[in-house]
Amino acid sequence: MAETKALRAPLGLKLGNAAFLAVWIVVALFPLAWTALMSFKAPVDALSANPLRVIFGPVTWEHYKAVWITHGFYRNFLNSLLITAGVVTISLTVGTLAGYALARARSNLAFWILITALVFRALPHSVLVTGYLPPFLNSRELLMPLWDAPILGWILHLFAPVPPTLYGQPWAIILVLVSINQPFTIWMMRSFFMNVPHELDEAARVDGCTHFGAFWRVIMPVMWPGVITTGLFSFLLAYNDYLVTALLLDAQSQTMVPAISQFLNRDTRASDQIEAIAAAVSITAPLFVLVLVFQRQLVSGLTAGAVKG
Amino acid sequence: MVGVVLRNVTKRWGSFTGVHAVDLVIGDREFVVFLGPSGCGKTTTMRMIAGLEDPSDGEILIGDRVVNDLEPKDRDVAMVFQNYGLYPNLTVYENIRFPLKVRRVDASTHDARVRKAAAMVELGDLLHRRPKELSGGQRQRVALARAIVREPAVFLMDEPLSNLDAKLRVSTRAQIKNLQHELKVTTIYVTHDQIEAMTLADRVVVMNKGRFQQVGTPTEIYDRPANTFVAGFIGSPAMNLMDGAVAAGVFEAPGVRVPGLVGYPDGPATLGFRAEDAEVAAGPGGEIAAPVYSIELLGDATLVSVRVGPALVAARAPKTFRAEIGDPVSFRIGAAGCHVFDSASGERIEPAPAMASPGPARADLGSTMPIGATA
Repeated sequence: MAETKALRAPLGLKLGNAAFLAVWIVVALFPLAWTALMSFKAPVDALSANPLRVIFGPVTWEHYKAVWITHGFYRNFLNSLLITAGVVTISLTVGTLAGYALARARSNLAFWILITALVFRALPHSVLVTGYLPPFLNSRELLMPLWDAPILGWILHLFAPVPPTLYGQPWAIILVLVSINQPFTIWMMRSFFMNVPHELDEAARVDGCTHFGAFWRVIMPVMWPGVITTGLFSFLLAYNDYLVTALLLDAQSQTMVPAISQFLNRDTRASDQIEAIAAAVSITAPLFVLVLVFQRQLVSGLTAGAVKG
Repeated sequence: MVGVVLRNVTKRWGSFTGVHAVDLVIGDREFVVFLGPSGCGKTTTMRMIAGLEDPSDGEILIGDRVVNDLEPKDRDVAMVFQNYGLYPNLTVYENIRFPLKVRRVDASTHDARVRKAAAMVELGDLLHRRPKELSGGQRQRVALARAIVREPAVFLMDEPLSNLDAKLRVSTRAQIKNLQHELKVTTIYVTHDQIEAMTLADRVVVMNKGRFQQVGTPTEIYDRPANTFVAGFIGSPAMNLMDGAVAAGVFEAPGVRVPGLVGYPDGPATLGFRAEDAEVAAGPGGEIAAPVYSIELLGDATLVSVRVGPALVAARAPKTFRAEIGDPVSFRIGAAGCHVFDSASGERIEPAPAMASPGPARADLGSTMPIGATA
């Protein structure tokens, strides 16, 4: 389509815009690009005072090899994967169902549930984590009565002869992160559902769906941008978490983020630092992939109104 | 034969009662319009019939089944919503097909039925579009097609025209009327627009504050309004209402003297007459004499308003009639065109039957003739 006169900018303004954008891109990208560059260089080049050596020094994969294989970073990666997948799955499932129910509920109770959720969201994470730490350490004794209970105990014995110690268990961290994340996902999903007109559910129910069928066949198909956007935020919370994972996991069950800080803290040889940098770059890569894959849904999810009928 | 019966149907929210114990029998193939101002309970009543709200009390029957405990999907109704309620992720074709698909109707018949329904509402060439690419009128026609595709027992329409512009409203209204005639399906239609009610309905249910004010044919509610609410709601302009008193067959109010009201009890009363039942003349002489308050040129007629006490009273004059604001005019209204209401309860007062008077004779004519004409 031809540009209208009103949208045509003078040449000077165009150049100015381009120059500003160029500068801004360099400033924004520099730390990221520099980190990525350093991770592929030998310590002499990477830590050199001459920037040209950092840029043009020979490429090496040795740090990645050291991090992932020698130091067993893949274990941290698997722990992160488990925790992130668990948190995203649980908080999205609960968030979607609860968000829909709360968006459609007309009772006062719904309002108070939402306010309660907000209060929990407002608590500093460190308060929650310090609350979790002692019971996690003593969970074996604390949970023992459940194992001794008449019927429940028999069922629980099928899974484990004694209650587990929750400290240092990645799957137990899932529960903690979900409890931190859940209020937010419920609120966010609810606001997405509020944008879907009531008439859609009602039309579907009159047209022949059950209440759940209306939710599944009519409401969910227009909700995917909301689900993916909320899912991304849940992913980021679990993936980037430091506080909870650092406090409630031990060295063997550590996730990637606290593991990197350990690399940096070691700081005995120059190559240790570059290895920490390589680990940091390894963490960033999946995020890029994720955003690229879900780009379209994220844009329509973040610019609300896309789900309107 | 599928009618709808409401027995003592009530809807309460906490201490607020939205619908007060209403009773109604809707016949097979009848077109019934629920008419009333917003918040009067008309949509709630329809939603209870659809199953989208649960009645607090009473019974709803569709055909001869009590449907109180049935899901909307099991009531064999189809509904058209004010805001269309189209599925935004589906094409027009898939929207219309949706009821057939979820009800597992034999798939080989889908295409023919969807095309037939689309043709009935003249949507043939829009089938591949998505709802957001359609105008309001087209969207509402998709919603109509989705409602008719399944040939349900009852159509429910919740203000289907109120989001359309005035011109489109007239043509879609005609389309709905024709569609109902073609399909011969019992239809319940909710609106706040009395012209829609008058033009579409076999019978109109006028509602206010959760109660049925009057149930009758359009002619009945126009010619014999049951109370001042119906009188003041129906007609364009609505019926003129003046507070005064009847004494020995003469109604009097400030500036008003209407004789010939034989058979009405003496005492305070509200007198009503329609703008077209009055004759306007310049200068004094009629039953109402007052200075002109406003004059509106409608094209086919001139509407002259005067003040009677606190009320504004309008009469239709011929289109050539001209007067300035403040000029003295008089309205001639015969007793035949007058309606008397109790000033306290607002209920219509019929004259005592022993005394022959022109009022009821005219009203009887109005109520019996159109029943034969519309049934």
